Amino acid sequence: MEERFVIPRRFRNTSLIFISIGVLAFLAGLFGLHGDVGVKRFWSVLVFDSLFFLYISAASLFLYCAASLAQASWHIAYKRVIEAIMVNIPVFAIIAFIVLMAVLIGHKYFIYPWTDPQVLAHDTIVAGKTPFLNVKLFVIFTVIIMLGWSLLSLKLRQISLQEDRAERGVRRFLWKTIFFSAVFIAFYAVTISVSSWHWLMSIAARWYSTMYGWYVFAGSFISLMAIISLFVIAIKNSGQLSLVNKEHLHDLGKFIFAFSIFWTYIWFAQYFLLWYGNIPLESQYFRPQLWGHYRFWFLLDLVINFAVPFLLLMTRDAKRNYTTVTIIALIVFFGHWLDFYLMVMPTVLPTQGVVGWYEIGITLGFVGLMIGLVSRALSRAPLYPVNHPYLKEAIIHKSDWG
Amino acid sequence: MAIKQYVVASFRDEDQLLPAVKKVRMQGYKLYDVFTPFPVHGLDAAMGLRQTALHTAGFIYGALGTATALLGMSWIFVVSWPLDIGGKPHFPLPSFIPITFELTVLFSAVGTTLTFCWLNQIMPGVKKHIFHPRQSDDRFVMAIEITPKTQVEEVKQFLLNNGAEEVQVQTAEEGWWYGLFSKREKYDDINPQWSVQ
Amino acid sequence: MLHYESTVREPLVNGNKDYHQVTEDIISPIEKKPGKLWWIALGFAVTMLLFGVWSVFWETYWGIGVWGENRTVGWAWDITNFVWWVGIGHAGTLISAILLLFRQGWRTGVNRAAEAMTIFAVLCAGQFPVWHMGRVWLAFFILPYPNSRGPLWVNFNSPLLWDVFAVSTYLTVSILFWYSGLIPDVATIRDRAKKKFAKFFYGLCSFGWRGTAKEWQRLEALGLLLAGLSTPLVLSVHSVVSMDFATSVIPGWHETIFPPYFVAGAIFSGFAMVQTLLILTRKILHLEEYVTLGHIEAMNKIIMLTGGIVAMAYITELFIAWYSNVVYEQGAFWWRILGPYWWAYIILITCNVVSPQLFWFKKLRRNIPFTFVMSIVVNIGMWFERFVIIVLSLYHDYMPSAWVYYSPRWPEVGFYIGTFGLFFTCYLLFAKYFPVIAVWEIRSVLKTSGENYKQKMAALEQKDTEEFLQEVQHEHALAAH
Repeated sequence: MEERFVIPRRFRNTSLIFISIGVLAFLAGLFGLHGDVGVKRFWSVLVFDSLFFLYISAASLFLYCAASLAQASWHIAYKRVIEAIMVNIPVFAIIAFIVLMAVLIGHKYFIYPWTDPQVLAHDTIVAGKTPFLNVKLFVIFTVIIMLGWSLLSLKLRQISLQEDRAERGVRRFLWKTIFFSAVFIAFYAVTISVSSWHWLMSIAARWYSTMYGWYVFAGSFISLMAIISLFVIAIKNSGQLSLVNKEHLHDLGKFIFAFSIFWTYIWFAQYFLLWYGNIPLESQYFRPQLWGHYRFWFLLDLVINFAVPFLLLMTRDAKRNYTTVTIIALIVFFGHWLDFYLMVMPTVLPTQGVVGWYEIGITLGFVGLMIGLVSRALSRAPLYPVNHPYLKEAIIHKSDWG
Repeated sequence: MAIKQYVVASFRDEDQLLPAVKKVRMQGYKLYDVFTPFPVHGLDAAMGLRQTALHTAGFIYGALGTATALLGMSWIFVVSWPLDIGGKPHFPLPSFIPITFELTVLFSAVGTTLTFCWLNQIMPGVKKHIFHPRQSDDRFVMAIEITPKTQVEEVKQFLLNNGAEEVQVQTAEEGWWYGLFSKREKYDDINPQWSVQ
Repeated sequence: MLHYESTVREPLVNGNKDYHQVTEDIISPIEKKPGKLWWIALGFAVTMLLFGVWSVFWETYWGIGVWGENRTVGWAWDITNFVWWVGIGHAGTLISAILLLFRQGWRTGVNRAAEAMTIFAVLCAGQFPVWHMGRVWLAFFILPYPNSRGPLWVNFNSPLLWDVFAVSTYLTVSILFWYSGLIPDVATIRDRAKKKFAKFFYGLCSFGWRGTAKEWQRLEALGLLLAGLSTPLVLSVHSVVSMDFATSVIPGWHETIFPPYFVAGAIFSGFAMVQTLLILTRKILHLEEYVTLGHIEAMNKIIMLTGGIVAMAYITELFIAWYSNVVYEQGAFWWRILGPYWWAYIILITCNVVSPQLFWFKKLRRNIPFTFVMSIVVNIGMWFERFVIIVLSLYHDYMPSAWVYYSPRWPEVGFYIGTFGLFFTCYLLFAKYFPVIAVWEIRSVLKTSGENYKQKMAALEQKDTEEFLQEVQHEHALAAH
C-alpha cells in the first residue's frame, strides 16, 4: 500500500518540452506580435489561459471538498491526483495575478475597458459600474480570492498528509477535512461568482449575465474531470496506481458525460434567454460569435463540448474503455479551452481573433507546467491515502449499481 | 399452456443460493428459474443470463422522440403555417429545444417501460404460478424442471446437500395466463404446502 | 459475497433485522384496518379538498374576475402555487434519480414516499394552469393539433406551451418510475395477503411479478435508464417553468440565472416537504428504524446546500440588477425590497436565507422537532420567493400610472387550500395502502448497512489493507468462474 509515485520519464520530458514551447511562444509573442491586433492577442491569450488553469485548479479543490462533504469513497483510490492538482492553486494564482496586474499597470484598456478614462467619460453605463469595477476593489478582491483559495488548498493538503503519518483508524482528520471543506465550499460559492464578474465578465464591460459564475464553474469543472481522467490513465499506463481499475474509470467517464450535459444546460440557459429576450445590450455579446468572425469556433464549441461526449460516452462500455475516455477527455479539454477563448476573444478582437501558433504555444506551456507540477506534488506523498477510513470502500468499489 | 412438474427448493440466504445455482448448472439439471425477494448481484452471471438490451431500446425510442419533435415542429412552423411571432424566425431552433428534449425523454421512458413489461410478460390481469409464498419476502427459491430423464429423488437430495432449507415437487402451468390471484389454481390441492407460510 | 461498508457511516437500518422482519415492519401496517387518527386526517383532507372544489366551481362559474388579479398584476397566487407545487415535486425525483446515480445509500429509506409526493405535488400543480384558463372546456386548445380555422397550430415559441409538454412528461415519467419500483413490493403484499379482495387487488396491481432473475435484471436496467432520463428531466422541468418568466423582458424576470436558480429552489422546498411528511409518517407508522436520524440529517444537509445556492442566487440577481445599470432592472429590485410589499421580501429572506443557517449546527440537524418546524418555515419561504418574483416584479411595471397593489380573494385562497386537500388525500391513501418504504431496496442494502450486520464489520475494518485487497481479488476471481 505504501506505494510511492515515481515520476515517469515521459512525464518529465513532456512537461519540459511543453514548457519550453510555452516560453518560446511567450518570447516570440513578446517580440513578434506587433500592432493593434498583435498586442491585443498577446495579452488576452495570457489572461484567459492563466485564468483557465487557475479555475481548473480551484475546481479540483471544489471537487475535493464536495466529495469530502458528501463522504464519498469513489474517488479515494486517486484522491492524491485530485490533491496534486489542487495544491498548484498558489502557482497558477501567482501567474494569473502577475498577468492581471500587468494588464492593469500596463493600461491595457482593451482587456478591461472600465480602466480607460476615456471610456468612463463617454459611456454612462460603464461609468455607473465604477463602484464595483475599479482598480482598487479589483486588486483587493483578487488578492482575497487567490489567497483564500491557496491557503485552503494548502490546509486541506496538510490535513491529508497528517493523516498518512497518524495511526490507522483515526477519524479526527476526516472530520477536520469536512470542516474545512464546508468553509471552502461556502467561500467558493461566493468567490467563483465575484471572481468571474471581475476577471472575465467585465471584459465585456457593458454586458451582464446573472448566469456567468455558473458558466465559468461548469466549464472549469468539466475540464478538471478531463484532466483527472488523463492523469489517472497516464499514471496507470506507467505501471502505477494499481488500485485504480475499470470501476474507477467508469466513474470518471460518467462524470465527463454528466457534466458535459450540465455545461450544455448552463450554456443553453444563458444563450437562450439572451436570444429570446433579444435586448440589444444583452444580445450584442453573442453577435461576433453567432453571426461574425467566430461562427466556426462557436459552433465547434457546442459540437465538441456537447455532441461528442454525449454520443460517444453514452454506453457503459465506452466509459470503461481507457482509449475512448482518453480521446474524449482530450477533446473535451480542448473544447473548454476553446470555450474560455470565446469568453474573451470575441469581445477584445471582434473581427480578427485566430487560433494560431501563439495561442497553442502558450496553452502548451501551461499544460506542461501542470504536468510538471502535478507530477512533483504526486511524488511527494504516498500514492494512496493509506490511513483514510474509506480506502477499503474504494477497493471494493463497484461502478455498477448495487 | 404446458403443465409441468418442478423440483422446488427454498434457501434462506443468497450466499447459499449462488453456489447452489452454479452447482445445479454444472450438474446439468434443467434450471427453470430462480425467484428472489430482491436483485441478488452475481445471480444473472451465475445463471448464465445475458445482459439486457433494454438500454438500446431506450436509446432508439429517445431518438424517435427527438426526430418526431424536431420534424413535427419544423414542418408546422416552416411549411404548414408560417407565423411571425415576436419577430422570431420561422425556424426558431432554440425555441424548439425544450419540447424536443421533453419528447425525447417521454418517448424513451414510455417506450422502454412498455418494452420492459412486454419482455417480462407482466401486465394487470396476468397470472403466474407462485412457487413459494415467501419468495417475495425472505426466501430464495430455485425451480428445476422435471424432464423424463430427471431423477427426482437425486435432485432433491442434491439440493438439500447444497444448502436448501426445504425441497418439494410441484405441478403448475408454465409461463403466464390471464387470471386473478384471488382464484385458486387447479393444482393447488395436490401441491404440497411449505412449512413456512 | 463480501459485504463491506466503512464503520464511519451510520447504519441505514437500525435494530436487529433480517429480511423477514423488514417485510413485517413495513407491510403489516397495510394489512391492518386504518386507525382513528388516519380517518380523522383523511376527513380533514377531504374537507379541504371539497372546499377547493367549491372555490374552483365558483371561479369557473363566474370567471377569473372573482380572483384578485388585475390589469397590472395578471399573474399572482395561481401561478405562485403552480410553481410552488411543481418545485416540491422535484425532491422526489432528485432522491430517486440523482441520488441513485450518485449511489447515496440513504435514499432507499426515503425514496418511495418522496416519489409518491412528487406525483401528488405535480397533480396539484397541474390544477392551477388548467383552471386559470377560465374557460376550461377549451383546455384542449393547448394540444398541438390543427384547428378548424385552417391549420393554425399552437405557438411553439411560447414557454407556456413548453410547460404543457414539460409538466405532462414529468408526471408521466414520475409515475412510471414510481410504479415500476413499486411492483415488487406489491407482489410481496399479494403473496402475504389472506383476504380475497386484497389478493385480487394487489394481484392486479402486481402485474404478475414473481421476482425471477431476468425480471430483476430488467427492472434494475429500467430503473437506471429512468434515473438517467429523470435527472435532466427534473432540471428541465423547473427550467422551463422559470422560462415562463425569464423569456419575457420584464425586469426581475428576465435573468439568465433563472433556470438553475429555480431548480435549486425547487429541491430546497421539495426536501423540506419530504421532511414534513416523513417525520410524521415515521412516527405514525413506527418506521423510526428505517427513516433514521441519519436520513433526516442527510436531508437537512441538502436543504442547507440548496438553501445556500438559492441565497447566492438572491445576491447575484440583486448585485447584477445594480451592476447592469439598466434603470428598469434597478427599479424592479428597489420596489421589491423597499416598496409596499417589503414584508414579503423580508419573510423570504428570513425563511430561506437566515433560518437555514441554523443547520450548521449538527445538534439542530439531528433534532426532529426543530427539523419539522424548519421544514415548514422553508416552504413558507419558498412560497414567498415565488410570490416575490411574480407579483413584486409586476405590480410596479414600466408605467407608474398602472402601479397597483394586489391582494388575493377567497376563491384563490380556497383553491390553494383545496390542493392541500388533494395532496394529503392522495398521500394518506398511498401511505395506508402501499408501502411507504421500498422494501426490496431495503433488503438489498441490509447486509451492508443494517445495524446488526455493521457490527460484524469491525473485523473487516481491523484487517490490514493489503490483506483486504487480496480477499477482494479472491472474491472477484471466484465470481468470474
